[in-house]
Amino acid sequence: MKTIYKFAVLTITVVLMLIADVPVLFEQLVPEAHAIFGVRRRAARRGVIVGYSMGEAAATSAAANQAAAQNQAAAPAPASPPPTTTGKPLPLGTVVSALPAGCTSTPVGGVEYYYCGGNFYRAVFQGNSLVYVTAQPK
Amino acid sequence: MRTLNFRMVAALFVLGVLALAAIVSTEVRAQAPAVDPVATQILKQMTDYLSGLQKFSVHTQNTLEDELDSGHRVDFDVSANVIISRPNKLYAERQGDLIDQIFSYDGKTLTLYNPSDKVYATEPAPGKIEEMLDFARESLGLTVPVADLVYSNAFPLLMQEVTLAVVVGKAVIGGVKCDHLLFSRPGVDFQVWVADGGKPLPYKYVVTDTGTPMRLSITTVISDWNIKPSVADTRFTFVPPQGVKQIVFMPL
Repeated sequence: MKTIYKFAVLTITVVLMLIADVPVLFEQLVPEAHAIFGVRRRAARRGVIVGYSMGEAAATSAAANQAAAQNQAAAPAPASPPPTTTGKPLPLGTVVSALPAGCTSTPVGGVEYYYCGGNFYRAVFQGNSLVYVTAQPK
Repeated sequence: MRTLNFRMVAALFVLGVLALAAIVSTEVRAQAPAVDPVATQILKQMTDYLSGLQKFSVHTQNTLEDELDSGHRVDFDVSANVIISRPNKLYAERQGDLIDQIFSYDGKTLTLYNPSDKVYATEPAPGKIEEMLDFARESLGLTVPVADLVYSNAFPLLMQEVTLAVVVGKAVIGGVKCDHLLFSRPGVDFQVWVADGGKPLPYKYVVTDTGTPMRLSITTVISDWNIKPSVADTRFTFVPPQGVKQIVFMPL
């Protein structure tokens, strides 16, 4: 009787441990891109919390700004859409953290513009991060 | 059988007493006098000494703890070399997972340069380091390595809302014997290792975010202190290398 009781307790414990572990397995299936973005989001949040307090939270800012860039999509509406080839033109002032694939660069008035998907982009620093913003070449 | 039962009961009782003792001792510790003047004194000596340094160069190794959405812990590392010459010159280069960047300030302009992207941006800046750091942060959203070491009011900044200050003990960081200090304030715990004897220079920082269950930290190990660096003033003025393009800062 005693042995059965002990065995039951052990079994229940093991089952409970398994249940506790299962959600972890699900989380591991998160796509990689999303996982990386998750890092940026967390880094951003932490940067704010610790940022100015001490140490050199500096480096988080790169990630923080990138996250901010992704949230800061909509800006002034386009007066006229840029000459399109393919894709949908974005509003002027849209910030992206990386150029889309297949951009061609052209200097206009001393500024380097990157053209792809019907948009012109130029590189700017947003805080410590290098980002690309849609613009109308002048 | 009876003996076994008795033993089990006795063992459980002992465990229970131990657990209770642990809980009680933690509570007692938490209630202990919180701010040890010895700890704050060492911190003040350090900040006073640093703000009195006219020139210094230093190497820092930062580790940023993070968590992936999958729940795994990862670290991002950034290595930095910094040269400061008061009142108006600063040079910092940073390399790591997230960044490859050189910051220079010569008292007139500040420049951010990403060597691997071959771009830089320049902006007129205030004439003193501390004002420049404020301007960089508030107007451009820039952070500069070891900025905390530069501010002459670093001590009151660090001590804001501090609820705990203790000397944890002595440690040796990079071969240097240090006092290990722990401070706590709402949401943040920070530890500082300050050289014991000789110049009160910091050799390590750990800042822990206590506001989330992960309790992630940023660790900075500081080495290669040089308080008499021989550096030409030209080092602080950015001269764009061949093939590098100028871009602009996005206003905040």
